[in-house]
Amino acid sequence: MSGPAALLSRGELTRSKGRFGAVVGALALIVFLVLVLGALADGLFYGATGAVRSTNATAYAFSDDAEGSLIRSRLDETDVAAFAGAPGVESAGPVGVLLTGGTGPEGDIDLAVFGLEVGGPGSPTTLTEGRLPAAGETGTAAVDTRLQDAGVTLGSKVFVGDVGVEVVGFVSDASYQLQPTMWTSVADWRAMRDAVRPELRGQPTAINAVALITTPDADLSAIAAALPGTTVLTAEAVGLAIPGVEQQSSTLNSIIYTTLAVAALVVALFFALLVLEKRELFAALKALGTSTAALGRTVLVQAVVASVLGVIIGAIVARLFGLIIPATVPTLFRTDTLIQIAVFTLVAGIVGAAFSLRRLARIDPATAIGGTL
Amino acid sequence: MNDPVVEATDSAPGGDGPSPVSDAPLHPGALLQVRDVSKVYGSGHTAVTALDAATMSVEQGEFVALLGPSGSGKTTLISIIGGLLAATSGTVTVGDVDVTQLSKRDLTRFRAEQVGFVFQSANLVPFLTARENLLYVATLVKTPKKAAQQRADQLLEELGLADRAKNLPEQLSGGERQRVAIGRALMNDPDLVLVDEPTAALDTALGRQVVQLLRREIKDRGKTGIMVTHDLRMVEYTDRVFEILDGHLTHVEEPSALQH
Repeated sequence: MSGPAALLSRGELTRSKGRFGAVVGALALIVFLVLVLGALADGLFYGATGAVRSTNATAYAFSDDAEGSLIRSRLDETDVAAFAGAPGVESAGPVGVLLTGGTGPEGDIDLAVFGLEVGGPGSPTTLTEGRLPAAGETGTAAVDTRLQDAGVTLGSKVFVGDVGVEVVGFVSDASYQLQPTMWTSVADWRAMRDAVRPELRGQPTAINAVALITTPDADLSAIAAALPGTTVLTAEAVGLAIPGVEQQSSTLNSIIYTTLAVAALVVALFFALLVLEKRELFAALKALGTSTAALGRTVLVQAVVASVLGVIIGAIVARLFGLIIPATVPTLFRTDTLIQIAVFTLVAGIVGAAFSLRRLARIDPATAIGGTL
Repeated sequence: MNDPVVEATDSAPGGDGPSPVSDAPLHPGALLQVRDVSKVYGSGHTAVTALDAATMSVEQGEFVALLGPSGSGKTTLISIIGGLLAATSGTVTVGDVDVTQLSKRDLTRFRAEQVGFVFQSANLVPFLTARENLLYVATLVKTPKKAAQQRADQLLEELGLADRAKNLPEQLSGGERQRVAIGRALMNDPDLVLVDEPTAALDTALGRQVVQLLRREIKDRGKTGIMVTHDLRMVEYTDRVFEILDGHLTHVEEPSALQH
């Protein structure tokens, strides 16, 4: 590139570093803020929904009054057979959920215990170390990798009440409502439930929900019709139905988009001022035979460079900040969120700079002659 | 519209046969021909005539002055000649191009290719070096990079700026800046060099140097130069002087005729 726009934008970017440093700094701060908010939004979302996203289940069946919540739902083990025979269902399995506290090697830990037919529907797919309990095996569990921070290792014993299981594997991205999960047999889950919730002891066949693996074209309402009084939701919908998840996402997303609008405004103001300040110069350059298009390209090239630098610096600072955030704050820096925010910032920069193009077009080259003296 | 200048010349005694150059405002074959050019701002009762039927011609290789006080219409005239301002009526031809008929886009190209401007306050690009300021205008006419660099270096050498090539305008003196502006005006080898009060920001001695240099460069290259000025001391470096007052253009034969 060696046209007039290249020469002008390169010259100004390299020789007016202080000025562009200011706008790059402002954009970097905005990108940093947005990325941290994004990481928090993702952290909350993933932490809340991991257990339903990171499994092989494509849908879950609930009792009607559960509103899609695994914890509120009440079904019975005998219901599994009804769903297994429904149209579009490849397999079905029981799911029991218990949000509770337990004891690990280093003391108390939070747990979300999932009881299921391990290997069947609802089994985690994100095993990182060890193995899942075998089908029919009791006394063992796979747990969330987050429990490694609490000193849990392969072979550790984890207790809920007086019921202990041995950790045989770790799974990642499997939290439920921000609590680390434990994946074990229905029998172990029920023993733990009875240990900490004595009022439920009289319900030896109760489960919370039924995990389903469905065919791609399955009709969920037809599956629900297999057993009156039940609802079937996709795994994704189950994630959003977890209390607070959708509200958190929409609140944080609206903050993120508002902040990106501020980025567009910052760039718009910066270039509006820059064009205003260079009116005289631009008039002279137009008089010399520079087209408005070439000057417009100059401004846009500068906006793109400033936005890209802002994104790079903001992303680096955000990642460094991520390293010092306490582990108790749920954050997750995801590449696709970064790409999305980078693209939005770039678009915001270009849109902001585009506002000055009209002003640029209105500069009259004739004002270059005559001057003020 | 009536043109007092043309009428006065047409009725001059002994006017049979072709008029001598200095007497005739219009001269066929001259590089620049301005015919009956008027500029009226506004309309009806509020109309203001900035330029009233100006007619002039300038030969190739001539360096002329356009002399007048501020508000006289000299800026308007030179802006119309340079394709920066549309005339209300009349025609301007440079070579065989009728400037008044060009579209906005063609005017931009015309200015880049055929006109070299030297502005009142140099108006260099502050974040480009002296050399880059020259190279900049070359990019407007897509001169090959190598050729542009050679020409820029040669011009800077001639203007005594070889050792200032890498300096930014803020590191140059006022006179040096104006010399860079002259180099920029000549960079694309234009037919016409239009100079707007080149000495306005300079003291007298420096102003004289700059105008002398301007004359030399224009003459050596066979360019056509028009310098707008209100400074009588600068007209001695020009071949002919046109005076303008209240929008009326008159032609003065010799610069020395004004030295009274």
